[in-house]
Amino acid sequence: MDYRNTLTTCIYCGAGCQMYIETIDGQITGVWPAKTNQISQGRLCIKGWNVTGFVDSPDRLTTPLIRKDGELVPAGWDQALSLIAGKLRAVRQESGPDSIGILASAKCTNEENYLMNKFARAVIGTNNIDHCARLCHAPTVVGLAAAFGSGAMTNSIPEFETDTNCFLIMGSNTSEGHPLIASRIMKAQQERGARLVVIDPRETQLARIADLYLPFRPGTDVAVLNGLMHVIISEGLEDRLFIAGRTEGYEEMKAVVEQYTPERVEEISGVPADRLRQAARMYAQNRPSAFIYSMGITQHTTGVDNVKSVANLAMLTGNLGIVGAGVNPLRGQNNVQGACDMGALPNVYPGYQAVTSEEVQKKFQDVWGSTSHTGVGLTVTEMVNAVGEGRLRALYVMAENPMVSDPDLNHARRCLERAEFLVVQDIFLSETAQLAHVVLPGAAFVEKDGTFTATDRRVQRVRKAVEPPGEARADWEIICLLAQKMGATGFDFASPKEIMEEIARLTPSYAGISYERLEELGFLHWPCPAPDHPGTPVLHQGRFARGLGRFHAVEFQEPAELPDADYPFTLTTGRSIFHFHTGTMTRRTAKLHQEVPEAYIEMHPDDAARIGLNGGRRVRVSSRRGQIELGVRVTRRIKPGVVFIPFHFAEAAANALTNAAIDPTAKIPEYKVCAVRVEPCHQDVS
Amino acid sequence: MIEEIRTIVAGLLDELDAVVALRRSGEGVAPHLFQKGDDLSELEIAPRYPLMTLVSRLHKRFPAIRLGVVARGCDERAYIEMAKRNQIDPDRLSIIGFACTAEEAQECYCARPYPQQLLVGTPPPPGPVNPIVAEYDALPLAERRAFWRRHFARCIKCYGCRNICPECFCEACAMEDAVWVEPGLLAPPFPTFHLIRAMHMASRCVACRECEHACPAHIPLTVLYDLMRRDMEALLGYVPGADIAAPPPLSVTLEETPLRVARGH
Repeated sequence: MDYRNTLTTCIYCGAGCQMYIETIDGQITGVWPAKTNQISQGRLCIKGWNVTGFVDSPDRLTTPLIRKDGELVPAGWDQALSLIAGKLRAVRQESGPDSIGILASAKCTNEENYLMNKFARAVIGTNNIDHCARLCHAPTVVGLAAAFGSGAMTNSIPEFETDTNCFLIMGSNTSEGHPLIASRIMKAQQERGARLVVIDPRETQLARIADLYLPFRPGTDVAVLNGLMHVIISEGLEDRLFIAGRTEGYEEMKAVVEQYTPERVEEISGVPADRLRQAARMYAQNRPSAFIYSMGITQHTTGVDNVKSVANLAMLTGNLGIVGAGVNPLRGQNNVQGACDMGALPNVYPGYQAVTSEEVQKKFQDVWGSTSHTGVGLTVTEMVNAVGEGRLRALYVMAENPMVSDPDLNHARRCLERAEFLVVQDIFLSETAQLAHVVLPGAAFVEKDGTFTATDRRVQRVRKAVEPPGEARADWEIICLLAQKMGATGFDFASPKEIMEEIARLTPSYAGISYERLEELGFLHWPCPAPDHPGTPVLHQGRFARGLGRFHAVEFQEPAELPDADYPFTLTTGRSIFHFHTGTMTRRTAKLHQEVPEAYIEMHPDDAARIGLNGGRRVRVSSRRGQIELGVRVTRRIKPGVVFIPFHFAEAAANALTNAAIDPTAKIPEYKVCAVRVEPCHQDVS
Repeated sequence: MIEEIRTIVAGLLDELDAVVALRRSGEGVAPHLFQKGDDLSELEIAPRYPLMTLVSRLHKRFPAIRLGVVARGCDERAYIEMAKRNQIDPDRLSIIGFACTAEEAQECYCARPYPQQLLVGTPPPPGPVNPIVAEYDALPLAERRAFWRRHFARCIKCYGCRNICPECFCEACAMEDAVWVEPGLLAPPFPTFHLIRAMHMASRCVACRECEHACPAHIPLTVLYDLMRRDMEALLGYVPGADIAAPPPLSVTLEETPLRVARGH
């Protein structure tokens, strides 16, 4: 009788909860919350409690698949890897390394993303590597790097419970997106009387328990943020010492926000002027104040502008470099922070070392033996287009599902269907894998070792509790096997622990991180530059990473597509607590499926009456790009004129409707705003 | 105290198949099944986990297994109610009972911080009654409803209260039945989601307080259950977890008129 509890980190959001996976004789028998983990403290959300629900699904991929006569048929590992290696070599020889693209994965471990970055650069020789961070927090990485010199969450989660006196949450449905972070906010509010301000087009759960709730029109974030700053400056609530001593560019920023009177902001955004004033005072007068945001800020054509405005507001009030304050972007995936840290981005090596620097290039060349050129590679959005145009001849996708997660899915499908050679490495035959030429079966998170980096830069262990099914293998092993098949050296790792040793050697912010230390301490926050360094929960103390913090003068701009006579509603998209992203795992988990089995649209009762819903239950929603049918939830928790669809459901994919218009710098699509028409479905009329 | 427990467990492993207790490994502590030859220096007694849930799982999976369990007062109370409902086989379980510390009894508002089968430690004085109970009693009816409305508004429907509860073992759960609770809503419908569980806990809740500790929304769930336990004692003379020979009153037929009020009180 072999009884084990294996401590590991949750595969879903970026909070970093840990749980024990209970196994008896190698079979999963339960989940125990980890009471000793600093984040979850013995608590979990419904996804955490059911985190193993998909692992034994009969849909798991158990053998490599190769497309023959249009069908995917089982194949051996050697056959599949030889085919991939041969094709990639041929494409590279004929069309150059930049005709190959790679999507790494925020679901995979740091070690796997590091290897994928090494594979792209050292084996293929391209910087065409990116992942879904492009679709969530690319503006955070760009915007905060410009303002502070580091593009990550500035503070750590436990501070919310112990130190934060005011939370300003904008564009984050925290209790659904990051439930165990919301738990800290609730506790601070309950037990310490911390103030809570929520700014959101939807009256989320936290909005309902907030001290102040400001509903606003999607896409008018910059106007609202400038309005808050206008009030703070005009009422003399700014932190002059902080501004004078630690920042630059204040006067230019001030000149712009002076134009944003609360009355003008009300006209643009719909936020009542008085409530805007109250919110500004609450945030400025209850330091330390934590600004918390997520996709509601970033998924816009003005995503970088929005992030810079958030940074402005925090600097204006001196809410940086102190415990309990900060600019806190909540990262959506278990390891999206880590995938960025590991260089799964087209412009940087691990640790955000620029590919454009010859010095950096040489550093990696020396250790790896070879690497790519100094030109920035393609982003996710650009890669999909390049596949459609034939410029990218081969695309290798590790554990991502762009066929549901990309904007304007009809366009994405047309592009990916044109792929000359598509390889997908995943645990299920996802919508993307169905289009592939070769499919490789990866291991689920409970079937491998490694580390994830949570949203607050917290590196924690992931541990193997069970064997992968059939011939499935850990993703790090697959990358090593493929690299070796292509004749590369430097991929002979015996374990993820050895990969972390190489990561620490090449990544200054991870230099002090090792499996030995994680085993002893449980976690380490980067930057952790040396083996005796305790890690850094709070960034920018005394000095910003770039020296002085930089204010940016930002003017409001309308979203790319506004409602009109043909498409009169504004569609915004987001997450439900009961599911995760493209649903490949959560929709195969019985306890989650029974909560929300299918897609729905949220609509205000006035709007339901306006379209003549008449008690009907299904509607057809169309945009200029596509059309879906789905159920309706009529609710007063959304503004009239705005509708909401969760994005988890491939058969009624919100992204069939969304707009692929992108932010000019961060290249993130505008998932949060597009114009749609909503009509009752005919079968309802009887 | 812990050394004494380790010594007793070492002795019992000669006659039993295994002993359920907590184990420290690396950075954390989790439930474990100690078998002969295991390193007992890893055995721990804190933080608490509902170990009878694991005993029950093992008894069902291995019909002949003979187990020991290192148990606090609340664990033993859980065992008593589970055994009555055929979730644990008393003939296949030895309890290595130990007393909680006075601080633990205070923190847990525990009326009986030690097991009947006490082998290790000295019984500390009982903890106080949760002060929120008295505050709640002082509220007029309408405000009591508002009290729960305010707290349940934070619920994120994790089912953690149910999942962690040693007495929640039904295979089909009414909290997941769409007839009673509309699925997929956050917070779940007020007050059915929580009151269904509260009603089902009558005569079962042994005040281990695991539910409250597992609650991400910090809902004072045990106030609800303390009130329920008080009514059970007043109306039915039943204290869950106190007496393994006492039949659970809600599991007997109505001809037996278990309600004291029905007998003319």
